[in-house]
Amino acid sequence: MAATAKVGEIAPRCRAIRPPVLKGRNSGERSWESLSVTEISNQTHTACEECDLLVALPVIQEGERAECPRCGHLLTARPRQGFERALSFALAGCVFLVISLSFPFLAFSSSGLENVMTLPEASLAIYRQHHAGLAAIIFVAIIALPIGLLAAIIVLTIPLVVGRRASWLPQVGKLMFKLNDWAMVEVFVIGAIVSLVKIAHLATVVLGLSFWSYIAFAICLTAALSGLDRMQVWQAIEANTA
Amino acid sequence: MSYPENTAAAQGLALCHECHRLDPVERHHCSRCGAELHLRHPDCLQRTMALLITAVILYIPANVLPIMNTVQLGSGEPSTILGGVVLLIQLDSYPIAAVIFIASVMVPVAKLFAMFYLVWSAHRRDPGSPMQCTKIYRLTELVGKWSMVDVFVVAILVALIQLVGLLSILPGPAALAFAGVVVSTMLAAHGFDTRLIWDRTREKHD
Repeated sequence: MAATAKVGEIAPRCRAIRPPVLKGRNSGERSWESLSVTEISNQTHTACEECDLLVALPVIQEGERAECPRCGHLLTARPRQGFERALSFALAGCVFLVISLSFPFLAFSSSGLENVMTLPEASLAIYRQHHAGLAAIIFVAIIALPIGLLAAIIVLTIPLVVGRRASWLPQVGKLMFKLNDWAMVEVFVIGAIVSLVKIAHLATVVLGLSFWSYIAFAICLTAALSGLDRMQVWQAIEANTA
Repeated sequence: MSYPENTAAAQGLALCHECHRLDPVERHHCSRCGAELHLRHPDCLQRTMALLITAVILYIPANVLPIMNTVQLGSGEPSTILGGVVLLIQLDSYPIAAVIFIASVMVPVAKLFAMFYLVWSAHRRDPGSPMQCTKIYRLTELVGKWSMVDVFVVAILVALIQLVGLLSILPGPAALAFAGVVVSTMLAAHGFDTRLIWDRTREKHD
């Protein structure tokens, strides 16, 4: 497996590489003597993403997290049954997403007139008012990216949980972490609550099934993502595709 | 340029920004996921500055122009972001006024100042505490997307309040400008490389 080539020869005089700060249930009992490093390998070492400190990384146990000893940035964490958790919450999220796309989100009535909005209309109504750019941003942030993110989590975790080989995992892994930066599900939930209070004095506002279901979707998505650590996911992908 | 001794860059090793694998930079591409390897984000400060200047320019129409237009019985009443906050205070909705004020006024301005400070810190010879800069950066990244709240409020109100002839709400040009401010500051924070700040400090802060 050429991909795990030792890279020690280019680090002839690297002394006193520090171990990370380990946090977790049992990590206090794990003792750490300073490693006598003879060569640096990408299996046993990492660099802090934020301060580039070279860190000697031990095998992380379930429930443990490793932080950079210099700046405290989270290097990696291994949540308990992370992939299983991610998959189950993502599947639950799918159900809530379908519900929130098919039922009314909010209903508003005043002086005998009533208007019901669905989730896609948050973007469609803006589009009808000839603000296509804004409509596109909203559609992407609250519907398109969350759907893509959910699909990516499911497609990624099924082979990892089941233990089937899947050659396309690296592409899905890259996509998932990119989508994660831009999905704004939880921000939209707060936006909905703010709008409720803003118009509560104008008329009667009824919360639809979609509203509650979108909140549940936001919770599921957050819970699913909390089971996926970048380094652990990529190590699993590597083991799967090797 | 030379990097501090205890860094990966000093050993010629680059952390893949996609999959966080450590590889010699002369490979050019990550051995696991194939992404391009760089010791530091290329042209990081120029890109960040360009995005920040874009955000500052967009911030002007975002605040001067109306973010939405309330049409009641045929007569329109445009309101700006700040006007909306004032209106909420007059309606005694203090918590919501606070949410909108923090998310739409304070956070974007604080974020712009913070990012300019970070770029300046990465640029000058002896930055202050790199730990403090890193904390500022983490906060900036954390609050990034929350400024979109006001844009979403406009979207929901426009979709919901459409009682033609009686009461309807139309989006204003400031909404797009404001979304632009949020997106460009998010891009700026995302592309900023905090390692540049740590590079400027030698062992004394270790």
